[in-house]
Amino acid sequence: MGLAACMAVAAIAVQSCGGNGSGAPGRDAGAAAPSGARRPDGSLARVRAAGVLRWGGDVQGGAPYVYDDPDHPGQNKGFEVDLAIALARELGVRAEFVQNDWSALVPSLERNTFDVILNGFEVTRPRVGRVRFSPPYYVFAARLMARRDDARIRADVNSLRGMRIGTLTNSFSEEVLKGHAEIVGYEGTEEPYADCVAGRTDGVLLDDIIATIYGVPKPELRVVGDLADGFYAIAGRPADEDLGVALDAALARIIASGELERILKRENIYNDRQLGLRTWSADDQRRMLGLSPAAPGQTGALGGPPPGAAGVSSTAPHRMTLGQVWMFIQGAGITLLLSILAMGLAVPLGLALAVSRLYGPKFVARLADLYVEFYRGTPVLLQLYVLYYGLASIIRLDAVTAAVLGLGMNYAAYEAEVYRAGIQAVPKGQLEAALSLGMTTPLALRRVVLPQAFRLALPSVTNDFIALLKDSSLVSVITVVELTKRMTIVAVDTRSYVVPGLLCAFLYFAMSYPLSILAKRLEERLARS
Amino acid sequence: MITIDKLQKKFGDRVVLSDISVTFEKGKVVSLIGPSGGGKSTLLRCVNGLETFDAGSITVDDLKLEPGDAKKNKHALLAIRQRVGMVFQQWNLFSHRTALGNVMEAPVHVKGVSPAQATERAKALLDRVGLSHRMGAYPHEMSGGEQQRVAIARALAMDPEALLLDEPTSALDPERVGEVLDVLRKLAKEGQTMLVVTHEMRFAREASHRTLVLHGGAIIEDGPPEQVMDHPTHERTRAFLGKG
Repeated sequence: MGLAACMAVAAIAVQSCGGNGSGAPGRDAGAAAPSGARRPDGSLARVRAAGVLRWGGDVQGGAPYVYDDPDHPGQNKGFEVDLAIALARELGVRAEFVQNDWSALVPSLERNTFDVILNGFEVTRPRVGRVRFSPPYYVFAARLMARRDDARIRADVNSLRGMRIGTLTNSFSEEVLKGHAEIVGYEGTEEPYADCVAGRTDGVLLDDIIATIYGVPKPELRVVGDLADGFYAIAGRPADEDLGVALDAALARIIASGELERILKRENIYNDRQLGLRTWSADDQRRMLGLSPAAPGQTGALGGPPPGAAGVSSTAPHRMTLGQVWMFIQGAGITLLLSILAMGLAVPLGLALAVSRLYGPKFVARLADLYVEFYRGTPVLLQLYVLYYGLASIIRLDAVTAAVLGLGMNYAAYEAEVYRAGIQAVPKGQLEAALSLGMTTPLALRRVVLPQAFRLALPSVTNDFIALLKDSSLVSVITVVELTKRMTIVAVDTRSYVVPGLLCAFLYFAMSYPLSILAKRLEERLARS
Repeated sequence: MITIDKLQKKFGDRVVLSDISVTFEKGKVVSLIGPSGGGKSTLLRCVNGLETFDAGSITVDDLKLEPGDAKKNKHALLAIRQRVGMVFQQWNLFSHRTALGNVMEAPVHVKGVSPAQATERAKALLDRVGLSHRMGAYPHEMSGGEQQRVAIARALAMDPEALLLDEPTSALDPERVGEVLDVLRKLAKEGQTMLVVTHEMRFAREASHRTLVLHGGAIIEDGPPEQVMDHPTHERTRAFLGKG
């Protein structure tokens, strides 16, 4: 035991030396630099010793990448499963899949949850700065789809100005669209096409594989054309150069032997775009990574972006710009607005529900009961999905309206319970006294019971509002860009979660803390009276 | 002005009021006495509809309450409650309103009196119960005696034809009982019709015109206070008055 622990510590020490000591090698080797002069970093030895190559992906991404085998539930299937098995075999180890939320693959890679990412992980400029990409194992096209009856859209990115185009957040396609269209970001692959059918967006730009599975089956949509080629590649930690080099070589063998072609054919995704993989050169790799082709005598230097590349110019982590800070503040404004509107709905609706449950006719009370139990008993995320996507064929709400309604109706259920508790805590004698003066029950409730119940409920209501402020981040699933979403977008741009994360946390705090103070003051004032 | 005819009420199997018939006249003070659980408070609460009953009827002037829930008697109930005020053992002042606010509440929101007029009236009433200096106080800032006097002013603000008082001094500290009884004596002298459930025998004897003894849900004694207290006819009354 003791010895093993010592060795583990030593291994980590060696590893971190390799990572921090020289900094650069990881990065320039990403451009397939010769590894002769490099000191071993122990990453390959570590994988070999463990006997396992752990690869990260998200089953939710679905076919044909990694998906639950319908014939063998609980087992994974997909071209990347086959590829991982082949790669591991080449290294002389076993492949082990690690399920991970797709949007958090990079942070998980960095904290060593697995050794590599292998899951339709596109080569994008922000990612090039953070992970080490192998040569590609698949070349895809960013494919534009639109409604069949919409003739305005052409297969030219410049024709998209002013149009709302759906795509996956932080994807290659999003990069292609940046500066050319109004981007509507999604987390899932079905929703962008559904929204396009519903008319909430004008088009969808996504990988051809995704378009074929999710977009093409929709009869309302047509393929407009392809805007750019993109690449799926294996992503590893820049510090794990040994492992990276070994995987590059393994991939090259798998491609050369025709095994990759067979794997891709099994899922019916092989096409002539893949022909270039067999002759992939170091220059191709540099171009893919957005580095300038190597000039003679100059190896591995970081170059500028390819001509015409918009936006961020450096692949290294960089500071947030003032513009991004301003975007954050706008995001905070949207969060606050959503929360206030949703609470503005939740409070009166909750009050009506509470009063119906306590004083309404049996039928109405029962309905209110059902409402509360239903909304408390199901996740708000699901409710948002149903409201925005599920009901799209019946009632087409825009995203912000759906967000306010969804959050408001959900919180109304909680408010109803809070008010009910408050009403029941008001002594019975208060209502009796009011009735004995000739008040009707509604008047007695309004003038006597509810004001006191509200005072009792105030701490809980404030609590709920602060919770709502944070829960409002859930509405990013229905394409509303609020504070948290803005944070993740900027974090990808700046290659770091630290500063955007802190700023985001600060803004939430700056909104909720004054509320806490205000509520406390109000409580004290009411308690005195 | 209030006629109770063959009134019956049960809580489950237990008979709380059995076949009570009695008439209360205008301008008279009637005290209801008797052992706990005899049905005094329930009778009072039936009169302004805070309790329902199972048989018989209650008539206030031309308004009649019949067995059944509040919905059935809605119109009569609201009208009766405006004419018959109630004062509770536990005061039940609206805790979110000042003394003045408590007194103004019903005139403004039930009768539609203008706030200015209601304020004038409320001030006068608070003065009448000796609390003109406490108008801005909230219930929790007042003693029990003060709260009960505000409660009386609150009931009077609706100009009730009759006042129902449910053990108005039972929850008070002994040294606070006197100030409330003083107010009630003054009202009695002014000819205010009152039905008082009380355990204050001296008050009942001095201030009321008539005393009823309730026991087991029935009136077992009815007459002028001196007669009832000095020459009770029922042995239960003698036991209750300690004249066994």
